[in-house]
Amino acid sequence: MSSIRWKVTFIITRQRSKSKCYQQPFLLEVDPDEYILDCIERIWAFHDRSLTFRHACHHSTCGACGMRVNGVEKLTCITAIRSVTQDGGTVHIEPLRNFPVLSDLVVDMSTFFLRLEQVNAATVLPLQEACLPGEIKDQPVIESGQYERLVDCIECGLCISACPTALTSSSYQGPATLAAIQQGCQPGNQPFQILLADHEDGVWRCHSAYECSAVCPSNVDPAARIMNLRRRILTQHIRSLFSRQPEEAKNE
Amino acid sequence: MSLTNKPHVIIIGAGFTGCATAHDLALRGFDITVVERGEIASGTSGRTHGLLHSGARYCVNDPEAALECIEENATLRKIARPCIEFNGGIFIALDESDLAYADSFIEGINSCHIQVNELKPAHVLAQEPNLNPHILAAYAVPDGAFDPLRLALAFAATSKENGAHFLLHHEVQELMVDGQGNICGVKTWDRHADRKIDIKGDMVVNATGAWAGQIAGLAGVRVPVIPTPGVMVAYNQRLVQHVINRLNVPGDGDIVLPQRRMSVIGTTSFTVEDVDYIPVTDEQIRLMYERACALVPAIRQAHQRGAYMSARPLIGSSVQGRSLSRTFKCYDHQESDGVTGFVTITGGKATTCRAMAEKTADLVCRKLGILAECRTKEMELTSYRKFYLYGYS
Amino acid sequence: MSNRPSPLHFWRWFDPRARQVGTWAFIINRITALGLTAYLFIHLIVLGQLALGPQYYDQFIAFAKLPVVKIGELAVLAAGIIHALNGIRVALTGLGFAVRWQKHMLYSLMCLAALGIFVVFVKLFLLD
Repeated sequence: MSSIRWKVTFIITRQRSKSKCYQQPFLLEVDPDEYILDCIERIWAFHDRSLTFRHACHHSTCGACGMRVNGVEKLTCITAIRSVTQDGGTVHIEPLRNFPVLSDLVVDMSTFFLRLEQVNAATVLPLQEACLPGEIKDQPVIESGQYERLVDCIECGLCISACPTALTSSSYQGPATLAAIQQGCQPGNQPFQILLADHEDGVWRCHSAYECSAVCPSNVDPAARIMNLRRRILTQHIRSLFSRQPEEAKNE
Repeated sequence: MSLTNKPHVIIIGAGFTGCATAHDLALRGFDITVVERGEIASGTSGRTHGLLHSGARYCVNDPEAALECIEENATLRKIARPCIEFNGGIFIALDESDLAYADSFIEGINSCHIQVNELKPAHVLAQEPNLNPHILAAYAVPDGAFDPLRLALAFAATSKENGAHFLLHHEVQELMVDGQGNICGVKTWDRHADRKIDIKGDMVVNATGAWAGQIAGLAGVRVPVIPTPGVMVAYNQRLVQHVINRLNVPGDGDIVLPQRRMSVIGTTSFTVEDVDYIPVTDEQIRLMYERACALVPAIRQAHQRGAYMSARPLIGSSVQGRSLSRTFKCYDHQESDGVTGFVTITGGKATTCRAMAEKTADLVCRKLGILAECRTKEMELTSYRKFYLYGYS
Repeated sequence: MSNRPSPLHFWRWFDPRARQVGTWAFIINRITALGLTAYLFIHLIVLGQLALGPQYYDQFIAFAKLPVVKIGELAVLAAGIIHALNGIRVALTGLGFAVRWQKHMLYSLMCLAALGIFVVFVKLFLLD
């Protein structure tokens, strides 16, 4: 934060529920180090009280403030003005893609949350399970008990918004759900979650665009988790081909 | 609005207080409508530090709040486990002034029955290598960290399961008054569709926290809420596992807590008039940075990820700022101001939201002549995602 | 502007503001796949015609030497090379191998593809 002030125009895509959308410009004086969400809140507080938007924690733990900034999915509470524009520039704000718009920047993410709930996505895990596989060796080793933390996925929906497959298919489980399945499952466990993943609308629908990992603000790396889940599923299939007993037991 | 014979209670505000009150009253058999002009927890509640208090911070200066905290700490860990990172907290003494505080701290903590263990500094540094190495004394307490939105959502989801309705993005503009001057509902502005909606109810509960004074003003009554914001800064590395507190009287920037992959330092305390937008200033961020580095020097290698501010609802008296009690208060406006059908609940801390809701629900029951026991202490909250089970409201 | 997922929204894949190379690779794979499939049908039709008699063979050779047909051949071979090489990347990463290097793989395989296409171009148009 500094005493420099930039003049930036925010063009917000607005819409009352079930009406046509339109764009509304707002000229603001901003500190280049403050965050997009701060500016949106100022627009609501001082320019137009009818603006609707979602936000809660303002520090990337709740996942509520996801929007598209100049066409790119961002978590607006941690996106500094400086990173998206310059003095005299324009910032386009639009709601997330692939979710029905309720009004202005508020989208309906019910299906998204329910999919996560259906697979019992974990919310708190021991440190060694919450991190990415490559980070396990860096986790602190403790003498008694284990430290736990809230998992990386903040359920912000940026990955769904960015995914080209989610753009054209409403039945695709989506990167967040598949990543949650990968995080929660041990091989051989959780048959229901594996059924959802090993399905044409599960891991096999992914077409390797890698948009999800590019926009994830929270180190989930859903693309890598989806590919890892594919490998695990195939390994399971191959194993069960070679060991007859589990198959026979299943068929009884 | 009520299609049944159950009394209909309208709750204004969907922060911790509003959601917990909706949960309590729904369990007691009421018809509930929660009206909120923003999102769940988009006011003060969302931007709380996220500290599940053990109460140790208040055991010397505000033992009433400390006792409330430790009791609710245990309750929340039972009913809202999925929203909490529970790794404990450590109070560290870094200089003589801190050490001098230790005696009253231990006395206070014991009289509030808060679990405490004295730790050897070397032991602490082995567990938390990123701490300031000049630790003179250390005490472990049952602090934790929670996810603000998800905790509020968990209460909201459970209340929805028991029949509560949520009208988000609906701003209360006026209170409905009947012929006898009783409050009988709210007039709201549905901001999604830009239309006005009137909702009738048997009781209106003002659970708007820092805005309680404003909403009370709609009923022509006064509630002495002093909005008292504080700044928080989040850094992009998880440098500690425990909540780190400075062992001294509560001051600015004396708590660093871990949350996901971040370390969050807080906070300050000052009063404001306009609660709708409170800017974060450079000096506050610099102050937080200095204080954070005093506790966890490794913050120098981290980058700022977010900086935010929201207003605590402190209940006013002649005392200022940090000396104000952190406890909560229910106002029965029929008793104090002769206005029926309207109560206010404000003050308090996130950690004590369930207790606040219990007192409020008790008051509402008394006023409406309903006999119903509180069941929220034992009932585990449902998954917060189930808030969306019946479609988004 | 509807925000709900729908197959009709596929044109939005081409929004350049927010696209990683991974998506462009996906789009190119789709287009080359469609092109190669269309080519397959044309190829079968032409082969069917050739089976009708020897005079059709001379007609066909004359036809194949037309510049526009040569460009078409170049396009088909280019599509095949690109699709095959990217396909290796998709097959590897899609089964969880070398996911971290998917971008590196894409760039190097596409350089190889460019080289291959250049060789084909030389053979088709410069040597006779």
